[in-house]
Amino acid sequence: MGDDLPRSLTRAAVVTAALAALGAALAAFVHASPALVGGLAALVAFATAFALAATARALHAPDDVREPRTVHATRALEPLPGDVTRRGVFDRFWLYAAGAFAVLGIVPFVALARNAAPSGTKWRAGARLVTPDGVALRADDLAVGGVETVFPEGHVSDYDSTTLLLRLPSDAVGGADRRDWMHDGNVAFSKICTHAGCPVALYRQASLELYCPCHQSVFDVVHAARPVSGPATRALPQLALDVDPEGYLIARGDFSGPIGPDSWGRTA
Amino acid sequence: MIVRRAARFFDDRFGTNAAVRYVATKVFPDHWSFYLGEFALYAFLMLVATGIWLTFVYDPSPAGAYRSVVELARATPVGYLMRQVHHWSAVVFVAAILLHMARIFFTGAFRKPREINWVVGLSMLVLASLTGFTGYSLPYDVLSGTGLRIADAVLLAVPFAGGWLENVFNGGQFPGPLLISHLYTFHVYFLPIAIAGLLAAHLGMMIYQKHTQFVDEPANVVGRRFWPDYFLRALAALALTAGVVLVLASTFEINPIDEIGPYLGWTVPNPATPDWYAAFLDGALRLGPAIELRLFGHPVPALFWPGIVMPTIVLGVLLAWPWIDAWFARDVEAHDVLVPASRAPWRTGFGCALIAAGTLLTLAAGDDQQSLALHVPIGALLVAYQILVPFGSLAVGVLAFVFARETAIRRRDRALEAERVVGLRRNAAGGFDAERPEIA
Repeated sequence: MGDDLPRSLTRAAVVTAALAALGAALAAFVHASPALVGGLAALVAFATAFALAATARALHAPDDVREPRTVHATRALEPLPGDVTRRGVFDRFWLYAAGAFAVLGIVPFVALARNAAPSGTKWRAGARLVTPDGVALRADDLAVGGVETVFPEGHVSDYDSTTLLLRLPSDAVGGADRRDWMHDGNVAFSKICTHAGCPVALYRQASLELYCPCHQSVFDVVHAARPVSGPATRALPQLALDVDPEGYLIARGDFSGPIGPDSWGRTA
Repeated sequence: MIVRRAARFFDDRFGTNAAVRYVATKVFPDHWSFYLGEFALYAFLMLVATGIWLTFVYDPSPAGAYRSVVELARATPVGYLMRQVHHWSAVVFVAAILLHMARIFFTGAFRKPREINWVVGLSMLVLASLTGFTGYSLPYDVLSGTGLRIADAVLLAVPFAGGWLENVFNGGQFPGPLLISHLYTFHVYFLPIAIAGLLAAHLGMMIYQKHTQFVDEPANVVGRRFWPDYFLRALAALALTAGVVLVLASTFEINPIDEIGPYLGWTVPNPATPDWYAAFLDGALRLGPAIELRLFGHPVPALFWPGIVMPTIVLGVLLAWPWIDAWFARDVEAHDVLVPASRAPWRTGFGCALIAAGTLLTLAAGDDQQSLALHVPIGALLVAYQILVPFGSLAVGVLAFVFARETAIRRRDRALEAERVVGLRRNAAGGFDAERPEIA
């Protein structure tokens, strides 16, 4: 198959690859668009692929060749020097040795976990509710139907303390659970989903539901944020609210339960 | 000339000519589907090459990670392309592994004596997905941070060790100060080195046990020699992989993190979906039933069933598949010749059911967007998927089983028909020739 046509084409492809490589380098040097640099680099690759394939075709052996397969058949293990296969000595010894080394290997890893920093939310009785910009909120700062992410004052963006403050319309407050945890329609829940920990960021004002965009768990705001749809099994922990003498919203303590997803050891 | 000199130099010192000759004259069977694994190999080489470059600009700290990646993309076209090529190579890497695995599965290439290599290959798929996930998380943008939060919740659902695992990985509770640094270590060190080691074992076993083939000649490997045929074609395949990835990388922007912002912990993008090869797990989390059982006094997190049990069972069955398959077929023999999918209907049925389940779970990870587009309430769609995943996959599996069996029967009938003697004709020598039916 070594006729002239593929050969001249191969040569042309190699020259194209070389020129495109120079072009790509130049384009990168003058900060041309990534599409141009990448396109020229792709041209280098395709031209090279063509040249190699054409050469392979030209040198292609006309017929299949055969190579006998080796059979890796089972052969009986010949007796080893020294009677090491005798039970009792050999088996147990290795078992003990392996066990001892496993202990040595595992202990340092178990010890790793001790370096953990203690965590937990920063909500304490009297802590003011502030926006991510650090602005403290009064009971009527949030419009009815509104929603705002809040943190305890002095701990903005503290992950475990991430809280959602909502202002319910007065007709919804009437039938709500834990009415004494609210203040003037203001109600606050942990924003960390109890399913997989995503921020429960979407508020459906019409149906008074919180909706998690990750796995579509839905929580009923009026009924202590209990899950009504989706994979979550536990209500969003609630924060009991009050106002301080200056009229700012404050927490009366920590959340009603542990925040975030459950583990086998840590749950409500 | 240079090659000859080099060969002599090494042969004088190490006696390498015998090995060179062994490799050069080695015979490889030929089929287009045998290139799928090679594409994965070449994507891995590109990942290593671009990945080393990226380590010089990436800042593995919670505060600096996002900014370093955004600035990288803005600064020069080379920086932008390097990240694009790296991410697209990862997509091609996982896709090529999956296609390669499907080929191995449906043609029975995993059968004795190649069971161990199936296990090694499957392990590489798991490691490749983990490497992909850790790499996707490194920019610490709002989408990947959300993914990390979910992965952390799944980790927490590991029986008894969950809290400890979370603690160690984060250096505290999520989002711990050491999270990014640990992801980085896994992404650039443990995982790629493990993949490289398994890759060496994978190729070593393939060379030692020799390649499977479609040609029905069990005693021989039938194909072309490594030098020059296969060597040149392998290089061409490498260049082709590079070309395809470069075209994808310079045409389609992947994961534009500067548009969605850094991870803050209290913001979340909507819709929130992971990279496509992890989406089936996210779909499973969405469909998981909202039940919290108590087991030995411990409450079992709802995430345990879709997040831990489901992947463990799937992985366990796939790891054990060569032995399950041999048990199904009552087959203890070694096989070097591949069979068409129709010859093993139970295998084909199981494979198709698994692919269907994976596809449906992946689709389920987009149920919120489908709900908006189709004006179907999300709750109804959820129930539909909860029914469709088990029963739809079962139906696909049964259909594939029946179709494969019918195809096998038809093929056998055609072969029998071709052999059937429909008449005898006297020939010139005085004997008889059998007349066979003409088959179109």
